[in-house]
This record gives sequence, C-alpha cells and structure tokens, in this order.
Amino acid sequence: MADECKRYDVAIVGSGVAGALIAKYLAARGKKVVILEAGAKIPPNINDYMQRFFTSTFKVPESPYTPALFSPEDSTLLSKLVDPATVNAGRPTVLSLSPDKWKDPKKSYLVQGQKDGDQPFTSTYERVAGGTCTHWLGTSLRFCVNDFKMKSSFGQFVDWPIGYSDLDRWYGQAERELGVAADVRDQAGLGIPYAAGYAYPMPRISPSLVDAGVADALAKFTEAERAGLGMDDPKKPIRVISTPAARNSQPYGGRRACAGNTNCIPICPIQAKYDPTITLNEALDSGNVEFLDRAVASEVVVGPNGRVSQINYIRYQKDFKEPGQTTATGCVSATVYVIAANSIETPRLLLMSKIGDREGAVANSSGLVGKNLMDHPYYVVWALMPQDRPIYPYRGPLSTSGIEDLRDGKFRCERGAFRVDIGNEGWNFVVGGFGGDPNITTRDFVNGMNASGLNSKEISGLDRDNAALFGPQLAQTLNNLISRQIRLGFLVEQAPDTSNSVTLSDPSITDGLGLRRPQISYRISDYTRKGIVQSRKMSNLIFAKMGAKQFTKVLPDDPTRFEGDVDGEKVMLNFMGAGHLMGTHRMGSNAKDSVVDSFQRSWDHKNLFLVGSGTFPTTGTANPTLTIAALSLRTADRILREDLK
Amino acid sequence: MSDDPSDKRSLIVQNANVRVTVTYTRRTLLAGAAAATAVATVGTLSTAPIARAADPNSAQDMTDFVKLSAVLTGIMEGRLAPAADPIDIKRDYFKLVSEKRPAEFDKLLNIVRDNRNAPQAIIDNVQSDPDSKFLARSIVLMWYLGAWYDPDDLKMLAEPPPSPPEVSHRVISAKAYTQGWVWRVAQTHPMGSSDMQFGYWQRKPNPERPDFIGGA
Repeated sequence: MADECKRYDVAIVGSGVAGALIAKYLAARGKKVVILEAGAKIPPNINDYMQRFFTSTFKVPESPYTPALFSPEDSTLLSKLVDPATVNAGRPTVLSLSPDKWKDPKKSYLVQGQKDGDQPFTSTYERVAGGTCTHWLGTSLRFCVNDFKMKSSFGQFVDWPIGYSDLDRWYGQAERELGVAADVRDQAGLGIPYAAGYAYPMPRISPSLVDAGVADALAKFTEAERAGLGMDDPKKPIRVISTPAARNSQPYGGRRACAGNTNCIPICPIQAKYDPTITLNEALDSGNVEFLDRAVASEVVVGPNGRVSQINYIRYQKDFKEPGQTTATGCVSATVYVIAANSIETPRLLLMSKIGDREGAVANSSGLVGKNLMDHPYYVVWALMPQDRPIYPYRGPLSTSGIEDLRDGKFRCERGAFRVDIGNEGWNFVVGGFGGDPNITTRDFVNGMNASGLNSKEISGLDRDNAALFGPQLAQTLNNLISRQIRLGFLVEQAPDTSNSVTLSDPSITDGLGLRRPQISYRISDYTRKGIVQSRKMSNLIFAKMGAKQFTKVLPDDPTRFEGDVDGEKVMLNFMGAGHLMGTHRMGSNAKDSVVDSFQRSWDHKNLFLVGSGTFPTTGTANPTLTIAALSLRTADRILREDLK
Repeated sequence: MSDDPSDKRSLIVQNANVRVTVTYTRRTLLAGAAAATAVATVGTLSTAPIARAADPNSAQDMTDFVKLSAVLTGIMEGRLAPAADPIDIKRDYFKLVSEKRPAEFDKLLNIVRDNRNAPQAIIDNVQSDPDSKFLARSIVLMWYLGAWYDPDDLKMLAEPPPSPPEVSHRVISAKAYTQGWVWRVAQTHPMGSSDMQFGYWQRKPNPERPDFIGGA
C-alpha cells in the first residue's frame, strides 16, 4: 500500500493553529508538506462567513462556518438541528448542549451522557481550514511557572516534563507569529520571567470602560477580603490588567488595527484578530504545501518496524451525506507524521486505527490515549450597574482585560486556580438561551415578557411588571438597561482525571462517512468545583463594590448544575465550556505515564507527533492557544533538526 | 380622522390598485366611500367596501409607514429614514410587512392617517386591537433587531398556551441586521459591524445619551 501513496517529508492531519504553524515552519525551510483537512478549504475571502453570521438566527461560535448546523429546510428552529449521522465531517455545537439534546446522538455530534453521573462536555470545535481558532477570542497568555509543576509545587496531579524556561523563547516566537499585543510590565507582575529586554510585537490593547469599572471595584477590596480569596500576599492589590491578545493594536502582518467590532467570537470581520488561515496562507504561499480539503484521516497505519508508514483518508464532496454519495479513499506517506486534529479528533483517529487486529493500539502503550480530557470550566456571572451609572458594554473587543492575580497561589494545594475575563459584551450570551442579548431584552420590553429578568417594576422603574412598550419610553428603557449590563467569566483550572475520556461510539452511531463518532464521559472534580465556589465568592465581592445587582441564574434543568457553599450560603452553581480542549494524549517523562514526550513525539512510534493542547498534562488557567503555538514551533524545530536533517 | 386633503387625493388617484379587505373600520369604510366616489367619477368597475394595498412606491404610504415606525419605536422619523437615504431599509421593511400581513398593515397605516399629529392616539389605537398590536410589535422588533418575528408567534410568547410550540425568528437580511436600531439605542454598533476606530471603547459615547429618541 505504502508504495501507492504519494510521498512527502511531512504529513499533517488538521490545519488549525498547530498544524498550520508546523506546516509553515517546515515548508519555509524547503520541506514538502501535505495537510489533510477534514473540512472545507480557506474561502477566497471571509464574505460568506460574514453573511452567514449576519443572517444566523443563533449567532453561536459555530454559526459562520461550515458544515451548516441546520438541515436546509429551516435554520430558525432548534428542533431542526441537523442529524450528525448525515454530516460527512461533523462537529459539536453549543446548540446541542441544551438539557433535551446533549445526550441525544441525533442532535449531538459528540455522543455524551452514556454513563450515570456524566455531565456534558460543553466546549465545541470547528472542522474547517484554520480549525477552532477561526472562532477563538484571541487571548494569548503565557502559562505561569507553577502551571508546569503542579506536583512539585502543590502536590497535585503531575509535572510537565518541561518548564517555563524551555518554552520562553518559543513563546516569544509564537507571539510574533500570531501578532500579540501586550505589555511585559503588566504580565511580569504574575511572576512570569520574560527574557531581559523582551517586548511584545505590539503595544497593549486599550482597556474598556467596563475594565475601568471593575478596576475601581477591586481597589475597594480590603486586605481581609483579599486574604479570604486566597491571595498569598493580601497586602498586594488585585489588579485589572490588559490581556495579551493576538489582536492588532496597530497594523501588523499586513492586517489593520482592531476597530472594536465586538465580535472576536465567532469572527472578526476585518481579521484584526489572528486566525490560523493567516499562517496557512503563508504556508501555502511557500509552494511546498499541498492542501487536501474535505479529506478525513481515517487510519494511522503502523509498519512492522513500529514506525508509521502511511495515513489513510476519505475524501467527500458535499458537507451533507447524500444517498449513494461517492467518496474516494487515498493515502499519504511521509518521513514524519503530525496529528494536529484537536483533543477529541486526535484520539478518535488513533482509536480508529489498528496495529494488526488490535484496535486503539496506535500510540497507546500507556493506555492513556483519550484519557484526561479537560477544559477550563467557565463560570459566568452577570449583573446590572446602578441606575445612572452606565458602563457601556457591547463596545470594543469582546474582552480587553482580565484579573490574573488568582492564577497562582498556595491555595492550589486545595482548589483550582482561576483567571477572570471581563466581558465587554454585556449579557450577549448569558440570557435567553441562544438568542443572546440585546435581542432578549428588546423582545421582553416590546412583547411584555421577562426572559432577561429586567422587566419587573423594581428593576425597570416602570409602573408595571412585564411592560410592553412603544415609543420613546421603549428606547429610553432599553438604553438605560442595556448600557448598564456587565458580565464576568471565571476560567477555572481543571483536575486531570482518567475517567474523563474520549472513546469511540457504538458502531451503530456514525458520521456521514460511516466512521464512529467521539464518545465523551466527563464530569468535574471537587478540586475544580471548589475553584468555582471561590469564583462565585469573588464575583459577589466585585459586584457588591460596584453596587451592581446580580442576575446570575442557573436553570433548574441545567445538567452542569451543582450546589456550593459560598460564605455559608447554599448557592446553585454551574459551568460552561471555555472551548479549551486539553489533555487526551498527555506529555510526560516516560512511556508508562504519558503518550508523548516533551517534543510531542509518540513514545511508541518515533516518526509520529501528536500535537496541540491534548499534550497538556495539566490545564493551568491560561487560554491554551499561545502554549499550543509555542509547543508546535518547538516541535517543528525538533522535526527539522532530528527527523528531516 | 385625518383632515389632510392630500390623503383623500392619494386614495382616489391610486384606487386602481385595490384590495378587498374584510376588516371594517371607520377608516376602511371611508376608503370604500372614497373609492366609490372615484368609481362614479371615472366610471371604472369596483366593489365596496374596498381599500387599496399599501404601496411602497407611494410617497404618501411610505411617509405614513415611517411615521408609524417612528411613533412605535420612539426613534425620530428623520433618523429612521433620513431625507437622503441610500440604505433605504424602510423600503425592505415596508415590502416585507405588506407581503406578510397586508390587511393588518393597511389597518395600521389607516390609524396613522387618522391621527397624523397625535402620536399617543396612534399608539392607543394600535393597542386597542390585538391584530394591530402584535403586528406593531413585529414592526418594532424589525426596526430594532433586523429580524422578523411573526405576530402570531409574539402573541403566543406573550400569552403562552399550556404547551407552546417552538417559535423563532428570522434575520431579514445582513443589511437589516446591520441596520438594527437596538445597537444605536445601546450607544454602540451592531456586533460584527463597527465603523469606529481603534480605542473608541475607552471613551464614553459621544453624545453620552442618545440624541435620536423622540418618535414622530
């Protein structure tokens, strides 16, 4: 078979940030690369994506991209979500996370909730050129020193086989590739040791009025309150600092500065925010990269010498399976193979592959492929500023600043750390299911309803509950209420747990190509729950200092809900997904306890690299993309120096 | 009832464009009478009672629609529909409503014709009849959100039956979404369609409060 496959130096599965960076790095140095992308290729421009976003009833992270989320007859009814069995290269969507859908394989691409006690895995991903970072926020934080050594610093989980110093230079290179705007002086306060004289490629992104409001609140915290939150040195203030972001604060990389479209997720209309299609286009421009779109890798083949000998793929023509559709199978062979298909699709591909007749044996001598699935469970709170104190949300990038001082501390011996992202988008994704504000609040006051919670006398100041308004009173009421909305999100460190896993679905549950789908078993541990409890405690303090009225609500049928004790009060808590898929093929220092080494090389197959945040042994609290990028560049350099020299 | 003579004139001139309506209001009876006068004068065939269909090409109908929209939304007429209006979203909306709900739309326009200089009277009349009220709400949501909410669905949402069916809405067009007034009311821009420049978000909006609220 291998003789029939077209041969390359490197074969990469997946064209997200990891695959694209490795392709660009190696192609720029003359290596011949092929990329297999399960979804559609890069469109000529983003107009189709924008049109799809503008006209979507549900403007969810997946809405601009393909394949379509709905069956063709109606995209306005959630009951018309497409059956994933009919999609050739399907993907999860937040629309299928509702209580009535998350366990239903006819609605949810991920097969979930099959075991008692399972909770939904609430993060989603894209299968399209550019991968999931087509819809990312752009946050590009470095990990803290202790994020790499949870075991030795706090007695928790495992250490990474590398430390901050191993990644420092690669972080710098990743920041240049992505184009990160930040100020070293802000970040260095977190104990992150930057190289002397290091400067980010661009000045930081300007803070928003919402950021300023939260900073004012933090300045009012007492030392006792800071101690209660677990600050190692409660004499130090808790600060709001500008979030490093792959978002242009000035023209960079041929792209213009951010114009504050407030739409980083799902799509920046001017590509002021980096997305991997930028790197991918640079890779393609080298002339050394062949890109196969709608090519789903279906098997990693291992030769008798233990090295990977080829990757088989299936090519399809249309997003939706048609009766009698024609697909084609093919294969590629290469000196080096890189699987960069995200923390769910990478283990799925490995588990679909065989060594001899042993299914799921590829790269899996440790038995850890698909194990330790993690996210940053995302606890979201929202509130209304006091009357006559508008804070002007829905302006600027979705988030410009965060609170980073609780990302590290001795409390990590006991509970998950967190970082806080300060939302500039009001109640956009927190009220009314998937309709999003300001739609929900508008509908409430036009049609006499109260899904937002704002249409009561005491909040609106009107003379009645469920007011339905016309005329200037409508406009003034909406102005008054929407301009006072605030939202905070807490990204909580998650404990690795081997029972949180990706396996293959029952053979009767497949995608449009007949391939078994990813099956997830997932729940969050007490360590993480305690981090969420502490998040709630902090949010209560912030909102109290702001004089803001909390509206955070957990629905009675929310499958992620749990009760927590917050300062002696029982409070119903929950979590959402951060979109940070991590941990299913972890790196480590030996073949027994891990799937890959620190260069993301499989312990079992020396010419196979499994890259992306699936290699993270622990999550830290930083959004994973920058670390994915740094690790990818380090891996590409290793491949160049060792495997392709 | 309107005293504006131009109103009657436009009815007579445009009476060839007729649509029978089964809704008997004071206004449609008047329209019927006016049409009957025209029949007598011009000698063409017609039936009474009749009213003409709202016509987006009629300057008067469009003026009435903009007046109606301004009164209902609370946004000044001149801002909803500037004198020079290359975007002309009002035409898209007029056509959509006249296609979706011709009879009720006529009723709403007739309310405007009867109460041109009395915004509160327009609102009171709209509120007095469920058909008018829920279509009026659809029209307001259209202007605010660029989306079409069917009046029957709004009625169901406002007065839910024991087992309400799933209802939804449809974004009318990318243009409609990006013209949504809720964004301006919130003193910002539609998400994904900013015409501002880097850093605007660290300053308060200018002016600090909307200067376009006022209705008709």
